Amino acid sequence: MTVMVKRPLVSVVDDDESVRESLPDLLRQLGYSVRAFSSAEEFLASDCVRETRCLILDIAMPGMTGPALQQELRIRGQEIPIVFITAQADETVRPRSLEQGAVECLLKPFSDTALLEALNAAFRRAARSNARDI
Amino acid sequence: MKSPTVALCSSDRHFGLLPPRRREPSKSAAAEDRAATSVGLGIAEINATVGGLIRQGRPLPVVLTALCQLFEATVKGFSSSVLLLDRIGTRVGNAAGSSLPDSYMKQLEGRRVSWIETPSGATISAKTPVIVLDPVLDALREGQEAAPTAAPGLRLHELSPILSLTGEPLGIFAVYQRESNPDVTRCPSALILQFTQVASAAIERMRSDEALKRSAVLLERTQQLSSTCCFSWRVETDEIVGGSKELCQLFELDPADVPVTLELIGSRIHFEDLPSFNEMIERARGGVSDFEFEHRLRLPDNSVKYLRVVGHRTRDQEGQLEYIGAVQDVTHRRHTEEALAKLRAELAQAARVTSLGVLTAAIAHEVSQPLAGIVTNASTCRRMLAVDPPDVEGARETARRTIRDAERASEVIKRLRALFCRKGTSSESLDLNEVTQEVLTLSLSELERNKVIVRIELARELPRVQGDRVQLQQVILNLLLNASDAMSGVDDRPRQLVIRTEQDEQDRVRLSVRDTGVGFEPQAVDRLFDAFYTTKSSGMGIGLSVSRSIIESHKGRLWATPNDGPGATFSFSIPCGPQDVTAGVPDARSLSAIRTSAVTNAEKGHLRGL
Repeated sequence: MTVMVKRPLVSVVDDDESVRESLPDLLRQLGYSVRAFSSAEEFLASDCVRETRCLILDIAMPGMTGPALQQELRIRGQEIPIVFITAQADETVRPRSLEQGAVECLLKPFSDTALLEALNAAFRRAARSNARDI
Repeated sequence: MKSPTVALCSSDRHFGLLPPRRREPSKSAAAEDRAATSVGLGIAEINATVGGLIRQGRPLPVVLTALCQLFEATVKGFSSSVLLLDRIGTRVGNAAGSSLPDSYMKQLEGRRVSWIETPSGATISAKTPVIVLDPVLDALREGQEAAPTAAPGLRLHELSPILSLTGEPLGIFAVYQRESNPDVTRCPSALILQFTQVASAAIERMRSDEALKRSAVLLERTQQLSSTCCFSWRVETDEIVGGSKELCQLFELDPADVPVTLELIGSRIHFEDLPSFNEMIERARGGVSDFEFEHRLRLPDNSVKYLRVVGHRTRDQEGQLEYIGAVQDVTHRRHTEEALAKLRAELAQAARVTSLGVLTAAIAHEVSQPLAGIVTNASTCRRMLAVDPPDVEGARETARRTIRDAERASEVIKRLRALFCRKGTSSESLDLNEVTQEVLTLSLSELERNKVIVRIELARELPRVQGDRVQLQQVILNLLLNASDAMSGVDDRPRQLVIRTEQDEQDRVRLSVRDTGVGFEPQAVDRLFDAFYTTKSSGMGIGLSVSRSIIESHKGRLWATPNDGPGATFSFSIPCGPQDVTAGVPDARSLSAIRTSAVTNAEKGHLRGL
């Protein structure tokens, strides 16, 4: 019997269906376990919030936006490292979201290496924060 | 003519009305009256003297006084005065002549003559001479009003109405008997008539001279005021007649150069406008009934003047072809128009840039989504093929998705092309619903991002309109973005936007955008469409002013109304265009069809040629 190494869970929240379709496949290829949600509300209502090690979050969504979800998680005490993704071509988006505590903000379209780097950074941060907790 | 001594004496009338007299006395009457004339001055002599004074330009009172003096010199024992009526014909005016003392004449000014019961009133209303039978009673009757009877040492004898050629009363020729000379009891009526006629001619002549002078002054003043100059052009001699002073001023010619000729004026025409000027002249020589054109002058100091010329064909007294017309200096207006056009263009450009900025963001968003899918899928695909053994099935699926996303991106580009890459500003037959849909396709995501709930109510059957697709789309986009902006601060109610198209009662197509935003103050409604008026912190305030000018260029109207509830509704309506689609300018989709038909027609022509 082999010991299953539990893969870290990455959750994707984006209202765009093609992203929900393509990104999880890539993330699985990169070795993560993945869940995809079409809205912030759906994610909050799921049982994945506690388990999620990294959140890949679209900024502009109908209903609760990405930054609003970030705020909500902070209030709930769920400090999940967040990688924002956005199709907004506004150059102020990235610095603004980094300032607000995001690990990274990727402008669509982004490469797989950029995604991998962002995820690595997210897990490094999670590890640091866990170390502090201990 | 009957004897003038027809005496009427009733209980209430102490003066007599004489039968109306013809203007020319009969020879027999004149001969009869001449017998009583003590000093014989011929009527020709009187006419010559009075005419001479008029020609010398002497004032009317002087002329009339001379006439009265001539009368006195002609008829022994009698004096006379001329009482002029005011324009309405009811009062004695101020210009009068008399051989009587000035003080007497002065007191007559402004007296009423309309009272039929008085001799003066009777002579005016009956337009016939009046013989005064009892001056004392008549004086009482005239009371404080008219008092031609009140001259000291004079007794009013006869009043004769001075009539114009058209029979309008101009005044009264009053004849007085000198009390110092009681022997002569009768003044020849024919003589009085002659003097009355000379007075009439003198007054009419003076009045028409005066009117002429006034109209000349009026013409000069109005020409100055409107920078206009009237002219007449004798085609035969090319002589330009008119206010030569004004012509010289307008064309900046040396006043010594009169007469002004067409050649002289031609030398001032801007060389670029010379061909069209000459062409116009040739057309006029050909006898067109009216012409109108604008051209420029190049003046000696190299400055440029814009003139507008209108002319109308007529014939002069000798029957020669002549144009009368006016030249107006429109330089100032042209400069203003040019400045205005430039400003408009700048505004439109600025508006284009602002709305383009917003659009660019929307476009980038629309294209980035599928691009993200493509890159992600392709990356996944590569990784699936790199593992051992390669996940061919997974790779195939991701490749399929890559293609699908690429198609989605190219679909966005296609829509953009439909929106912008049509031919320049041109008018075509349009379906406003279709135009609106294209704008909505691109702006919906932007509106949704701003949490705007969009309700689309497009009329099922909408007549086509004639217009510029891109311009109308700019207006619609502007209205949508304005509505969205107006609701950006609204959190206590839904941010609802209703876009509706419909046909109104006046055969116009109307589009309205209703929001639940901050609305506007009723007093601001006039300023909403002014350039640079804005309620937004980030707006330039030109969108609506440019939108309105676009709609007005479509012969339409753009207006705003506050809602009953929160927010405002902005609407525009434009007239329905020709409903036959083929009658309009073809749009891109029907272009190939048109090309085909053009080829077919060319072939037909070719066949006919054979």
